[in-house]
Amino acid sequence: MTLALHLYRRMMRRGRVIALVALASVSGLVYWLVGFDAPANDLTGLYTDILASVGYTFVVAALILTAATLREEKDAGTLPYIYLRPIPRAWFAGQALIAGSAAAIVIGICGWLVTVVASIAVGNGIGPTIPALTLFVAAGIGYAAVFVPLGYLAPRSLLIGLGYIIVWETILANVVTGLAQFSIWRISLSIYAGMEDEFGQVATDTLGPVTEGVGGGVAKIAVVVVVGLVVLTWALRRRDAL
Amino acid sequence: MTDTIVVTELSKWFGLKVAVSELTIGFRPGVTGLLGPNGAGKTTLLRVMTGLQRPSQGSIQVLGLDPRDHPSIYNRIALVPEDETVYDRLTGRQFVELAARLAKVDRVKERVSAAIEDVGLTDAADRALGGFSKGMKQRAKVAQALVSDPEVLLLDEPLNGADPVQRAHLIDLFRKLGDQGKTVIVSSHVLAEVERMTDRVVAMVDGRLAAVGDVSTIRAAMTDKPRRVYVEASDPRRLASSLIASPGVVGVSIDGDTVHVEASDSGDLARRLPILAAEGGIRLTRVEPVDESLESVFRYLVEGR
Repeated sequence: MTLALHLYRRMMRRGRVIALVALASVSGLVYWLVGFDAPANDLTGLYTDILASVGYTFVVAALILTAATLREEKDAGTLPYIYLRPIPRAWFAGQALIAGSAAAIVIGICGWLVTVVASIAVGNGIGPTIPALTLFVAAGIGYAAVFVPLGYLAPRSLLIGLGYIIVWETILANVVTGLAQFSIWRISLSIYAGMEDEFGQVATDTLGPVTEGVGGGVAKIAVVVVVGLVVLTWALRRRDAL
Repeated sequence: MTDTIVVTELSKWFGLKVAVSELTIGFRPGVTGLLGPNGAGKTTLLRVMTGLQRPSQGSIQVLGLDPRDHPSIYNRIALVPEDETVYDRLTGRQFVELAARLAKVDRVKERVSAAIEDVGLTDAADRALGGFSKGMKQRAKVAQALVSDPEVLLLDEPLNGADPVQRAHLIDLFRKLGDQGKTVIVSSHVLAEVERMTDRVVAMVDGRLAAVGDVSTIRAAMTDKPRRVYVEASDPRRLASSLIASPGVVGVSIDGDTVHVEASDSGDLARRLPILAAEGGIRLTRVEPVDESLESVFRYLVEGR
């Protein structure tokens, strides 16, 4: 795991982590501001609604972080120091995905912890926040599986990733029903919905046609990870590394 | 001696730009200088040889294998890239240790210390690379390449930024590695340094092979370029008039006590010169061939294109 550890440490620079944790914490801050005026019996539904809608800030944080996993090495010209090693390419790709996922999950957990603090502050307690952890973990893994290969393949991966989040995830997937099935955010939300009984109206609307359920959601994320692994392995073998 | 690297009909292009064009060449153990002006395709060739880039056409075999299809070969070959960037937050020792662990070498600590010592970086090894001078970074890059004890070592402008003492140290190190039977390919545009490392050169111009071999053989093969020889003599005018009548001498000029001679056959000139001097009672004080150096050969190659 030397490679995964190296990539993880390289990604998690102090300044970047602080900025991305702040970005991922927006949901918690919004919940804290809105929750004070909300009726007590609406607090859990409101919590899910805010996570489903404002939680996209975490997706942007995950994009910035995970796209950099190998892109930073390519752009800096340091990739030869890790690429020219006797590591099978599938294993190399796997370690890059592990590093990207771990980094995204750590940022996600920090964002989630802010929502926990906010939930305690508005009097909703910790209980309703526990299932939400699955949202951040599943999204962290799912987005890493997409953005790590994207970062390796595309010099303008941030722009393409933002296009994916804004155009695909938030616009097209709302308009074209079938596309929602391929939205990682909705798949992650479906896992969360499978563990949370009091899903709010906004959260339910965001989920759209995607069926809630832990098993199905985990299986879909697993498929995304396998596809990401295959694509990255192919790219490492067949595309120019520099 | 068997070639350790075999390049066959290799071309590499990026869009419309051709970086390397139909190159066929073999590299054998020992030090080989890879020469060429900026943009000649040296860096691209090294990248393709290591598998960092795919050939657009043709093939590469390093130790009998294509590196891109056999990553296991990377514990037998190593590259010192041209880019100055390293992991600034790591110390020199951590940088070399990372390379050792990724290369799965045995006795990591011992090998790391040995590689650092080989490049003369022991005193600074525990300082962050970000605070290293350019020359020290170069040495750290060489250490990370040496830590896996590779059979093939590719160095892209490894002496850039190094001070004279560091250069001398690295040149000695590369020569030693070559003497040990390793294949060492050093890309450089500083000809004097390559000349100190090896006689064997590969010259590239505009992505094509301009010449291969030792400097004197390459020079001898350039039959269209007359040899220039400077001769200091007690009576330069009389010597010049004798020389101009000699077969094989294509040009003579006088600069003070020195006669500048251009001859199509330097061997013939070497035989004829003492005879002419003796016949004319002229004393020769210095005879210097001026374009047998790597630099002049290289200049001919580049300008001749």
